[in-house]
Amino acid sequence: MSEVEVLKPLKTWSHLAKRRRKPSEYEVVSTNLLYNTRDANAPYDLDPDLAMNRWYKQYRNSSPLQHDDWNAFRDPDELVYRTYNMLQDGQETYVFGLFNQFNEREHDKGLEPRWVGTLARIYTPGRYLFHALQMASAYLQQMSPASTITNCAAFQAADSMRWLSHTAYRTKELSLTFTSKGLGEDERKYWEDDAAWQGFRVLMEQVLTTWDWGEAFVALNLVAKPAIEEAVLRKLGEAGRHNGDTLLGMLTDSQLLDAARHRRWATALVKMTLEKSGNAEAIKQWIAKWEPLADQAIDAFCAAMPEVPNAAADAKSATRDFRRSLML
Amino acid sequence: MALLGRLDWYNLARTTNWTPGSVTEDELFPPDMSGSMGIPLSKWESYDEPYKQTYPEYVKVQREKDAGAYSVKAALERSEIYEKADPGWQSVLKLHYGAFPRAEYSASTAEARMARFGKAPGMRNMATMGMLDEMRHAQLQLYFPHELCPKDRQFDWAHKSYDTNHWAVVAARHLFDDMMVTRGASEVALGLTFAFETGFTNMQFLGLAADAAEVGDWSFSNMISSIQTDESRHAQIGGPLVAILLENGRKEEAQRIVDMMIWRAWKLFSAVTGAAMDYFTPVADRKMSFKEFMLEWIVSQFERALMDLGLDKPWYWDQLVADLDHASHAMQMGFWFWRPIMWWNTPAGVTAEDRAWLEEKYPGWSESFGTVWDVITDNLLEGKKELTYPETLPMLCNMCQLPIASVPGPAWKVRDFPLEYKGRSYHFCSEGCQWCFEQEPERYAGHLSLIDRFLAGHIQPPNLEGALNYMSLAPGEIGDDAHNYAWVEKVRAARQKAAA
Ligand SMILES: [Fe+2]
Ligand SMILES: [Fe+2]
Repeated sequence: MSEVEVLKPLKTWSHLAKRRRKPSEYEVVSTNLLYNTRDANAPYDLDPDLAMNRWYKQYRNSSPLQHDDWNAFRDPDELVYRTYNMLQDGQETYVFGLFNQFNEREHDKGLEPRWVGTLARIYTPGRYLFHALQMASAYLQQMSPASTITNCAAFQAADSMRWLSHTAYRTKELSLTFTSKGLGEDERKYWEDDAAWQGFRVLMEQVLTTWDWGEAFVALNLVAKPAIEEAVLRKLGEAGRHNGDTLLGMLTDSQLLDAARHRRWATALVKMTLEKSGNAEAIKQWIAKWEPLADQAIDAFCAAMPEVPNAAADAKSATRDFRRSLML
Repeated sequence: MALLGRLDWYNLARTTNWTPGSVTEDELFPPDMSGSMGIPLSKWESYDEPYKQTYPEYVKVQREKDAGAYSVKAALERSEIYEKADPGWQSVLKLHYGAFPRAEYSASTAEARMARFGKAPGMRNMATMGMLDEMRHAQLQLYFPHELCPKDRQFDWAHKSYDTNHWAVVAARHLFDDMMVTRGASEVALGLTFAFETGFTNMQFLGLAADAAEVGDWSFSNMISSIQTDESRHAQIGGPLVAILLENGRKEEAQRIVDMMIWRAWKLFSAVTGAAMDYFTPVADRKMSFKEFMLEWIVSQFERALMDLGLDKPWYWDQLVADLDHASHAMQMGFWFWRPIMWWNTPAGVTAEDRAWLEEKYPGWSESFGTVWDVITDNLLEGKKELTYPETLPMLCNMCQLPIASVPGPAWKVRDFPLEYKGRSYHFCSEGCQWCFEQEPERYAGHLSLIDRFLAGHIQPPNLEGALNYMSLAPGEIGDDAHNYAWVEKVRAARQKAAA
């Protein structure tokens, strides 16, 4: 028998050791962590035909979106858990600082009752929408084919909960000054029945029941989220500024920082998938399928903000700009 | 007051269930994925998590916790704790890191399952934080051992283990996959957060932290106890769920999942934690025996938690308590005997001081396990090391995937629990493991244990070399006696002294 090679200690994990470069903290703690991709026949180490194994084989492994090495994906922000908390603790300190200052200046007392009625209708029910984003992002977390992707999805779910938390906070605070607007009471009714919300509600119900992971990613990150961010964050924030609600505008600005980060990882992922033929077509087909629903949602929502000129057209065009930047 | 208190708006942040319009409730929450057990959406809204934390509190508290864990590590960087530690303790670290970080990452997906498919809004928010927690646990427990890679190739297993077919990893995946990621949200909450995290993570993350503090491994001790503070928050996802299930007449279903997962967790921990506490940790640093930890955290505290929620003691409880006397010893015997197929170096843990401690903590040890160690020791003293290696593979249980073990000594008996199911023979180590299989045979029937694979010819050549290769173990990382048999010389010296 030939001489047996004795493995030597390495400077890093064996899967990272082949390259010359010293791996970053991000790579050391984020790469190649999923093990449900190791055996295509049995994602989980039980009966290969188990219902959940069939779910992963059908909705992830057999997705039209394919790549030979999903683990090559890198989050352009290279966030790890500890830096995520540093980043968002800073953001939350800022936002709660705003809440504090505006409260001390009795900001809410200066708002027009008519505008508060608008907030009760098209701002405070938004917590349902943000929660739907939280749920849909959690689905991507469990279905994505590489840990560097699941991490982005997990942070995105948490950021969505962040937006929902801001809305819950402001709902309560506004209800202390305006007791007759149904604040904190009527949001579910608006979300389920009011014309302004029905487009987004249907859109998110459809996204939430899209099981193919590739389509779920495209529907959520390339279509639904951009539509929501442009209409429900950016345009509503502008409407706030037009109505003396400076706080709302500053709040949505902070949330839009998260949204921009989500678009950075989505863009990087799309770019990586374009390395393989067939993916561009799949993504384009999905966009074509989902865009009309998102456009309808934007139209319905923006119709409730007549004071913002061209709100729907601007929002739709901004979503197109983002998708055009993907160079599909 | 300029800022609202957290409880002023907390309820609104978890009032997020709506009646879907364009899809049905069962489409939005597929029963298999949510584990809704036929309970409609509205009934889940009374779910009330006892540990209430908001998003801004979460990112602040977690940032501070991480600052603590990483700064203790940085401060101790040059103190060479690892180099100075007993090889037995070094093996505890290798075993721990190979067993947990990647499973923690998978737990993140289990939390995501609840965050998406749980029908209770409070559960979805708690689980969103739990999903981040588990990412933390994976990342911390990769970051810490990564710096040990240049010192010892075995630390590569902190990352690599779950990509392999190593026997212990197959056992760990089989349990964790069953408990965490192949069931609906309710079953995950029952099995992972309630059965496992309320009880067993204490064993590993507080029990071992206590031992680590005795050893002087402060950075490890501090890090894993910090992890446990997250566990004790998100472990509370399960409790309020049990309340909802009981209110809606689903006690039997809840009890069944809890019973299965406690049994399964017990089996794995008797291997991973039992041997580490009773043998690997240097005898002077053992805070308590595995049995004592189990009696405190599982048999008394967790039993109370079960009762408080209105559940019953599992049917096998007396059996489990009886097994506490020998489970860790049987596993240790296997770890040492089959030492080449470990990614750590198993310490024998049977010097005179060890034996005295074992006999004190486990009366009767000398008459049973001690006699086997006598034979091993004699063989080593006589220079017949080859006799201390195995010639055969152990029979593995088709549920826990661990060796079917027995208690040696006067009452030596190997008890195998065989079962025929749809034309295939299965073997179990215990009534508990067989019972788990029989609850939902289709979940497990198509799985092959490593012995099944060996017999089916998947492992080639069919010998130790083939097995090592199949398990991705190569020279340079395969295990041997942790103290390089130095303990044998101690025994020799002691015997010579006694004879003189
Ligand atoms: Fe954990
Ligand atoms: Fe956990």
